Amino acid sequence: MARSEYPITLTTFPRLGTDDCTTPSYPVSGQKLRSQFVPDEIANPHIRFPTLAANIRARRGRKVEVNVPVFRDENTPWPWKDPSVDYGLHKWPEDDDVRNGAAKENYIYMDAMAFGMGSCCLQITFQAKNIEEGRKMYDQLSPLGPILLALTAATPIYKGFLADTDVRWNQISRAVDDRTPEELGEKPLANDRWRLPKSRYASNSTYISQDPRLRKEYLDPDLVVDQDLKRRLLDGGMDDLLATHFAHLFIRDPIVVFAEDLETLDLSKADHFENLQSTNWQHMRFKPPPPGSDMGWRVEFRPMEIQITDFENAAFSIFIVLITRAILSFDLNFYIPIQRVSENMETAHIRDAVSTQKFYFRKNPFSSRPTHRGANNTPNGTFDSPASTTSNSRPPSPFGPVEDEFELMTINEVINGQVSSDGDAFPGLIPLVESYLNSMNVDVETRCELARYLDLIRKRADGTYWTAAKWIREYVKKHPKYGKDSVVGEEIEFDLLKAAEQITRMEGRDGLGWEMLGKRR
Amino acid sequence: MKLVLSTSNIMSGGPSVIRRPTFEKSNTELTSSLRENFTVHQQTSTSTNAAALSSRPSFRTWTTQEGETLFIPSHTTNPLSEPREAYDITVKLFYLPNIPVDRRCVQTREAIKLVLGQLGMESIDLLIVSFPGISFDADDEDSDLDDAESQPSVPASAEEGGCFDSESVPEDIGTMLTTWRTLEKLHGEKMVSKLGIAEFGVQRLSKFLPQTKVKPAVDQINVRDCCVVPKPLILYAKKEGIELLTHNDCTNVLPRGTLREILGSGAKGAGILAGEGNDERLKGNVEPQWVVKYTAVVKDRGVVESKGYFAVAELNEG
Repeated sequence: MARSEYPITLTTFPRLGTDDCTTPSYPVSGQKLRSQFVPDEIANPHIRFPTLAANIRARRGRKVEVNVPVFRDENTPWPWKDPSVDYGLHKWPEDDDVRNGAAKENYIYMDAMAFGMGSCCLQITFQAKNIEEGRKMYDQLSPLGPILLALTAATPIYKGFLADTDVRWNQISRAVDDRTPEELGEKPLANDRWRLPKSRYASNSTYISQDPRLRKEYLDPDLVVDQDLKRRLLDGGMDDLLATHFAHLFIRDPIVVFAEDLETLDLSKADHFENLQSTNWQHMRFKPPPPGSDMGWRVEFRPMEIQITDFENAAFSIFIVLITRAILSFDLNFYIPIQRVSENMETAHIRDAVSTQKFYFRKNPFSSRPTHRGANNTPNGTFDSPASTTSNSRPPSPFGPVEDEFELMTINEVINGQVSSDGDAFPGLIPLVESYLNSMNVDVETRCELARYLDLIRKRADGTYWTAAKWIREYVKKHPKYGKDSVVGEEIEFDLLKAAEQITRMEGRDGLGWEMLGKRR
Repeated sequence: MKLVLSTSNIMSGGPSVIRRPTFEKSNTELTSSLRENFTVHQQTSTSTNAAALSSRPSFRTWTTQEGETLFIPSHTTNPLSEPREAYDITVKLFYLPNIPVDRRCVQTREAIKLVLGQLGMESIDLLIVSFPGISFDADDEDSDLDDAESQPSVPASAEEGGCFDSESVPEDIGTMLTTWRTLEKLHGEKMVSKLGIAEFGVQRLSKFLPQTKVKPAVDQINVRDCCVVPKPLILYAKKEGIELLTHNDCTNVLPRGTLREILGSGAKGAGILAGEGNDERLKGNVEPQWVVKYTAVVKDRGVVESKGYFAVAELNEG
């Protein structure tokens, strides 16, 4: 790295797509991306990536459309038309997109995969002890996705304008949306097989665990699956839930296939599967072991936004790890209908969702069945044998209506617990984690370090500390060059990035960023 | 008569104390999980006996008497599912105030036996003993309180929670050492791999250690103070090779009168002890003897598979 360079972890470069936003500078409107905002050189030159972008565009029949609502400030002209859009370009056929209405009023318009896939995020991959545990973690972490997305919000600026959303998710979703007009429902189905309600980058659409607590009401009856493929998987011995999951992934086309991989089909490899799996970007990913490895089943938690400091990123990573341990130890149940999870994902985008919005969440995470595992199975050498009773075979409590199982909660309630006198309140993720830690032998120094991490998350959730999104907004708002017109100019950006650098170095110890981090030493 | 009260495994399925909105100290965890376990067993016995549906079943239907010992509820084992080496099994034994110290030898063996039976195992990894009346704060040390300002605040639920132990004063080191001899014996018999004590500060440790044959491997400190543990203690523990662990237990885990209430015939009681002049239920004074807490953690994965308590009391016909 040059002396003038420093690595920072912001979700997006705030003025990506403005004139001259790269160093060295390259002309926009290249042959590969055909973007009027970013040059081809911004993409990784490995043949896979420009091909990926080109094929998404080809499949769509036009460029990707990333429209983000602009934040309306005092001096923002209204209605607002993105002033950086060039309607007069005639270099590529795709230049017609904007003349055909791709850019919307009151929205920041972007036209390339780079605007989405150029984002940074915080993903955690867990090793499961076996496939059952992997499937359970996948399901139980799913409803937490939108909560953690809102809590880690860090993306308030796009292409030099303040956005009216706080997170990156939907922008990535749109930046790789390869759906055809037929799949989008804009035209009647003629050549395509089905209408697709979601981009291939989207929140999860189904659950996969063979868990008796998974009620059919939690699943989406309208889930699109490739029925032929599902049949083949079932015939091959896969159970229905998992077959549904994979048959759902296979409703997408592989976007890039290398010709040489098609010459012979090598069944000892999983490349074709991995190709499809890795271009199905959902907020959880269920990862089978690679053939010939002892890696085991893994689950990836993908929704969180990257934070500015290592401290915060460590805090959120460890928090999720501890939640998985609490889930497995207490056998927690966070199931809600999967459609509510998708709705929560949208809610998480709303500006300052962490303190203004409510999310569907399950009220009682505990199992009601007394499961005296292994009762009667008295091994040798036990206490001098008072007559063991037979195992408790109390009939499982009848299920009530699904709607009674969950309600709308604030992020604070989900993280720190609901206050209620009737004992029916959600205990909160942090208290669950604390309770788990209290059951473990943890040395004082580790526990102290964990307390700092949990304290950050507790205070992010209750509003004591700000999200990075809020902090960046406030930074722009207070900047002398800000004209209250939603425009984040070059000087503001420069100062913002220098501030991010300082916060990265100091982690709030010098006071900068204390609104996000608290007073640290 | 001896009463053996059990919570069963409180981690999953059955009674769970963390159903409550706030997370409590061990004394409330113990009492509420005992209550819940009793309720579950009462209901089980009711559902298998339709005639008793209308009224509360006799305690005889869900407890078991073996000679002069009454198991409440009837003893069920809950063996661990993986091989012994997969687990870290920790047992914490709370000696209670005002119980003759010479009973501790028998009590300790009894407690270990109950836990091993419950888990279906032959040995434990760590046995921590808690002597009555010691609390870490009372151990007057130089703590670097200037550190406190930048420390994360402790949520209200982690505060005292009725933990204050006003019933007893700490016993002298000599008495503790007498008890320790029993533990050293268990260690010698390979029933326990490591021994530990709780709430010891530097002063107490430095008096205690030279007289032990088997040194404590662990000193457990209340979690409330985990970020302000005095530096001298940290240094001393490092020097002596003692691991400082955190906990969230009350020294006074079973306050006076608690068991009588749990077992009594009041609205919230289990209906084992007789109220005013009635029936077949038991009469007499309940004298709590000791409490043991156990946890079995799957080492590699950090999953708590089993956790629970036994509380043992004597019922003396008054």
